[in-house]
Amino acid sequence: MSDWTLCIDFGTAFSKAAIVPTGAWSRFDPVRVRPLRLGAHDGRGNAFLLDSAVFIDADRVLFGRSAIARADALGGKRVALKSFKTLLSVSDLDRALNTNAPLSVDPHRIFQMRDLIVLYLAYLLAAIEKARSLDTAIAGRIARRYAAPAWRGGDSAGLHGTVVRLFGEAEQLRARIGEALLSDAGLDINAVTRELPPAMERAQPLDMGLIYEATAAAAYTSIGLDDNASHLLVVDMGAGTTDIAALARIGNRMFELPEARATLKQAGDFIDRVIANRAIDAAKWAKSTEQKADLWAYLMRGMRETKESLFAEGHASVRYRDKMFTMSARDIEKDKDFQAFAKELKEAYEHCVGVVRDDAAARGRTAVEAVAVGGGASAPFIQALIASKNTRGSRPHVVPRPATPKWAHAPEFRGNLAPVFPQLAIAIGGALAPDGMLATKGTFSPVAAVRNGNRATRD
Amino acid sequence: MPAKKKSTTRRPPKKAAKAPRSRSAAPKSAAPSLADALAEAAWAEADQALAEALIECDALLGAQSKKQRDAAVSLLAQALSRAARKRGLSRVGELGLAEKYDPQRHELAVAVAKMPRKVRIAARGVARGADILLRPRAAPVAPKARKSGR
Repeated sequence: MSDWTLCIDFGTAFSKAAIVPTGAWSRFDPVRVRPLRLGAHDGRGNAFLLDSAVFIDADRVLFGRSAIARADALGGKRVALKSFKTLLSVSDLDRALNTNAPLSVDPHRIFQMRDLIVLYLAYLLAAIEKARSLDTAIAGRIARRYAAPAWRGGDSAGLHGTVVRLFGEAEQLRARIGEALLSDAGLDINAVTRELPPAMERAQPLDMGLIYEATAAAAYTSIGLDDNASHLLVVDMGAGTTDIAALARIGNRMFELPEARATLKQAGDFIDRVIANRAIDAAKWAKSTEQKADLWAYLMRGMRETKESLFAEGHASVRYRDKMFTMSARDIEKDKDFQAFAKELKEAYEHCVGVVRDDAAARGRTAVEAVAVGGGASAPFIQALIASKNTRGSRPHVVPRPATPKWAHAPEFRGNLAPVFPQLAIAIGGALAPDGMLATKGTFSPVAAVRNGNRATRD
Repeated sequence: MPAKKKSTTRRPPKKAAKAPRSRSAAPKSAAPSLADALAEAAWAEADQALAEALIECDALLGAQSKKQRDAAVSLLAQALSRAARKRGLSRVGELGLAEKYDPQRHELAVAVAKMPRKVRIAARGVARGADILLRPRAAPVAPKARKSGR
């Protein structure tokens, strides 16, 4: 029996982790929720976010913000490896792991993708260990989990086995290298090539549970509520995909409705491209390929802030040298590709709503809840979707839930959790969820697909 | 897949110390430090936006044309709004909206001899979670004169 439950969330851009005392689900108190300061060792930016990046320099391997800063300093000639999450959710993971890292990432041609992921995970585990040591409230045994999107393809058990094996290798490496992993200067490549093979060889899979992201969202949305519905629709717009999932809770058991699952290949990255393309189309002065490429790179560097303003205020401005761009949400809505995406998303959502309503009605329920999560949760078109009146026409009603739950505004946080909650939400929900909500309880227990007969596949 | 084995988690064994008095292992007194850490994280992101606001403020003060001024105002407002969002600040009230006067929720924009029944929002307020930092400034709405002759 553990004293604490830790959940790690691999975001595409950042990794996050949160820890709660075991049993927090049944005796919920918001004050017990403890997001971890994974980036505290770095001293730059938001301490709760750890940049998901590895950079192979001439003779060093850099991690996190140092990796991104070094890649930026080289002016785009070389790139940092990012988006581990995307790689970890491919159907043929073993094959993807055994490929060589691209030349733009590893000019020495010495690392495979597996090596780089293990290196990053070792860095992440070192950051977790450091953050845990900084929080004096956390003592005792810790049960670990990680959050992931429902796997594509059918072999959930196999993929989970691969992931916990990677974590095991990373833990071995962390034990050998220690806090040097957190150094701003990174690691010497010779030290890496010396320490990595024996660490991988001696490793055993790490004992970790798996929780699907939609389930984690259901956990933080419904915890502490007396009036929450038995059925929840989750619209998760991340960077690479927009996922819709539906969960039903009967008694203490929570299960997914596989027929109400949809994945669209357009998401945050797609919106970024739409915004950048609209801006470049409006920049009549940018005629040459170089000018357009330079403008594109500039827009992409500030896209997170631009998109945030666009979603929150309905318009955003960008200063580029002596020029200024202003774009509105309506400009984006006029884009043909966006319109096609919005139509497809609406159709997929309505299909999922139909499935969930049928299930809820069959069980005699009168309401279904809907919540938007992920980086795109605040996008007006996503909020409009979950609040759309056409889903409320007949029983059971669809009731939209806020992206940030009421408990995140608890006075104990003095207003400081709510602004960062959307970024930490999956890690927090994943830690809060009881064991019964996990897709896999530990390294060797069967995955949900085996345990309860639900398909644990996507697409 | 390797055969089933014991957990590889290496944690020190739980001390046979006093059982926690509360329902959980975490002491409540730890909460303030987390709130401070969260505040610090929010400030780290807000700082960047405030730095941009300062630069646009200079651009506004040095603007030579309406176009330059408009651009600076727009970017200044955007940077300030972003800093506010990072700190969890939100605006309260809707400009021009007439509503029932509540001395707890409105700041009267003009001195009045008698408390108004209705006010119109002249400047929005600012809140942080449930705490109102600045109440919306509101002007009294003159009651409609009754039509005579009926």
